[in-house]
This record gives sequence, C-alpha cells and structure tokens, in this order.
Amino acid sequence: MNSTQLASGQKQLTLAHSLVQMGILISLLWKISFFIYANEVYETKSIRDLFFPDLLQSSITLRACFLGTIFCTVVNAFSTNRSLQRSCNVGQLSGLSLLCVHQGTYNDMTFLTSWWCAVWSWWIGNRFDIDPPRELLKKAAFLARLIVSVIFLGGAVGKWTSEYWSGQVLYDIYFVDKDYWTFNYLRSNYNPEQLKWIALCYSRLVIILETLAGFGLWLLKDRVSAWLSILLLILIPLSSNLLLFSVTGCLIALSSVGLLTIKPNLGIDQY
Amino acid sequence: MHTGTHPLQKLIHLAKTDKSMLSVLILIIGIVSWLLLTPFAPWFAKQSMQRFHLQTNSFLGWSCQFPIPSMYNFANRYKVEDYPPGLTALWIDENDERFINHFPTRCFTFADARDYYLSHKQNRWITLETSYREEKLVSKYHLKPKSADQEHSTQTVFELIRLSSTFEHE
Repeated sequence: MNSTQLASGQKQLTLAHSLVQMGILISLLWKISFFIYANEVYETKSIRDLFFPDLLQSSITLRACFLGTIFCTVVNAFSTNRSLQRSCNVGQLSGLSLLCVHQGTYNDMTFLTSWWCAVWSWWIGNRFDIDPPRELLKKAAFLARLIVSVIFLGGAVGKWTSEYWSGQVLYDIYFVDKDYWTFNYLRSNYNPEQLKWIALCYSRLVIILETLAGFGLWLLKDRVSAWLSILLLILIPLSSNLLLFSVTGCLIALSSVGLLTIKPNLGIDQY
Repeated sequence: MHTGTHPLQKLIHLAKTDKSMLSVLILIIGIVSWLLLTPFAPWFAKQSMQRFHLQTNSFLGWSCQFPIPSMYNFANRYKVEDYPPGLTALWIDENDERFINHFPTRCFTFADARDYYLSHKQNRWITLETSYREEKLVSKYHLKPKSADQEHSTQTVFELIRLSSTFEHE
C-alpha cells in the first residue's frame, strides 16, 4: 500500500468514526425537548426505590451523564487526535452505561442502541494505530453489521409469542389511537375488524423482517448489508413513529460504515 | 483481512488477532446464546420478565442484562389504581388493560407516565403483567407519598413498595 492509499484509508477511518459519533449525537438530541421535560418531572416527582443505588435515582446523575455523553460525542466527532478520541470513547461509553441502568432512563432504547455504537467506537479507537486502514475498515464494517444483527435479533426473539403473532400488541400500541399519519389514515378508512387484520399482517411482517435481519444481516457482504439495514432502520420509524429515529439514528450511521469499505483508490472490495 | 470467506472463519480470525474485538465478540456470543435460549428454556424468559418488572434478585444481576436488546419485547400490560388491587375489581373492566411495548415499569418510572400518575400526590397501586409463550409474571406495587408535609412542596417524593411478584404457567 503506497502513501496515497494509506492517507486515503486514514481519511475513510476518520470519516467512519465521525459518522458513528454524529449518529450517536443525533440519537441523543432527536427528542431533546422530551428529555428536558423528563428532567423537570424527575426533579419534582422522585421515587425512592431500594432496588436502585441512590446514585442511579438522582436527577443530578442523569443530567451529568447525559450532558457528559453529549460533550464527549461532540469532541469525538470533530477531533482527529487519536488519544483524545480514545478518551472520549471511554467517557461516552461510561456515560451511556450509567444511562442504561438509571431509574429514569433504563427503559429508553435510545441509550441502548447508542451504547452499542459506543462499544463499536471504543473498539475502533483501540485499533486505529494497530491495523492497516483498509483491513480495519473491513473489520469495522463486519462488527457494525454484527451489532445491528444482534439488535434486530433481540427485537425478534421478544416477539416470538402469540400476542405479537396475533397482532394484538401492535394493535393496542399503534392502531387504536396513535396520532401518526399511517394510523390516522388507516383508522379513517377501515373499520375496527379490518384494522385488526391489518395489525396482524403488520405485526407478522415486523417479526419476519426482524428475524431475517437478526439471523442474516451479518452474513451478507458489506454494501448489501449496509443498504438493507439502512432501509429497514428508516422504514421502522417512518411507518410507525418518528420519535423512533432516536433509537435507529445511530444504527443508521453504524450501518453506513459498510458503505465506506469500497473506495476507488483503495481497490475493489475483495468480499 | 486475510481470512477465509466464510463469516465464521472471519470471526475466528478476528478473535485470534484482536483482543478488543475478542471481548466484544464474547459479549455478542453471550447475548445471542441468551436470546436463542429464551423461547425454549423458561429460566431465561423468567429472568427477562423479572428484569422488565425490576424484580431481579439484585441490582447487579439486573444491570448485567442491560446490553440485551429488548425493543418491543414480550406482551406487557399494566393497570394503575387509586385503591389497593381487589377493591376496585368489581367495577374496573379487565379490557382497560392495554399492551405496552417493553419494560412495563415505565408506567411509573418514566417521564410522561410518572408525571401523569404521580401529579396528585396520592397513593397508587400498580399491577404489571408480562407474558411470553407459556410463562407469565404478575407483579404488584404500591407507590406511597412519603410524608404528609409535602402538600405545599413543589417536590413530591414517593416510596416504591413491592407487594408481590408471582410466576404463572399457562
């Protein structure tokens, strides 16, 4: 590999890392107004629960972790200093780990998908100066699609139960009264019995797609896997709830790493 | 990456040559094993149900499960009442309980639901029900305002009391 190819590879790596950081930032900020509101609620209505350590019930901890994670992500996205990036990766991963187990945020999947992207960033940060750029990009794309596959598999396995297969769960959550264009349109054009049938088809389609993605995405080639993941991760919030972009935004960025492995001056992809 | 073309060959090669990757792969393999055992071994499903109800034996055991993705998992329902469960059963229609996506405890811990149910500084009794295939977990909680002198305070503190948590096999 000559010096031009090496420099180009380094650029691609920096781009991949920054892209994932931007994805995490978008995820964290996508519903910022909701988090500001949540902060006010936690400040005025606290729940003392012996299950959680005091630190993980405190709204101060929540604010510090959330703002600290955003700070690390912003610095990480725009920095090209490898050791600073590594420090930010650790800070980001720590902040998101605490948010995933805090009483006020444990159930919000935004933090979990961001956490997985932070794991990817932590790993690539550790390899920047060790692996040749092209090889590292290939590994990065592979790990990215492996992570996205696991997340889809987690969604699929939890739905392998009769209440989802019958469509009842998604009917209750979305079809009954969710104020979103798809469901408003369906409610105004179909009666409840027809809606239940549509919910059944929708639910089964979700289960099948998540199952196929969970088992199959990581086996595909870089670009095919990347495009399929991006398509699915955009379709999910577009068809059901735009707030879900906070969950899928960082995963869309992570999936995009698969598109960076091919670059004309690096040669044709071998896989 | 000088490996074979089979994805498993890639995995083995990566694990051998990259310790950071090895640690991530171990985590992923552990999670995938957990997920794939969940439909077939009730113990795993029960652990997840206890996780969703904040009923795991220890916080450490609960927090170790956080990396397991659980979007829209299991069939979860909840009911929030002003009186202890049972007293209102005569006039509360069971059909009022609708499904929610995951972690049914969000109905009192998460922002908008916490705001909705805890605004009146009064006792609340909560029943959660989670089903997965043949297993079901029913948990009951009491949210109690901590002291009477909160009437004029802008901050309200509730105490969460776990009343019961019982598995049922259907």
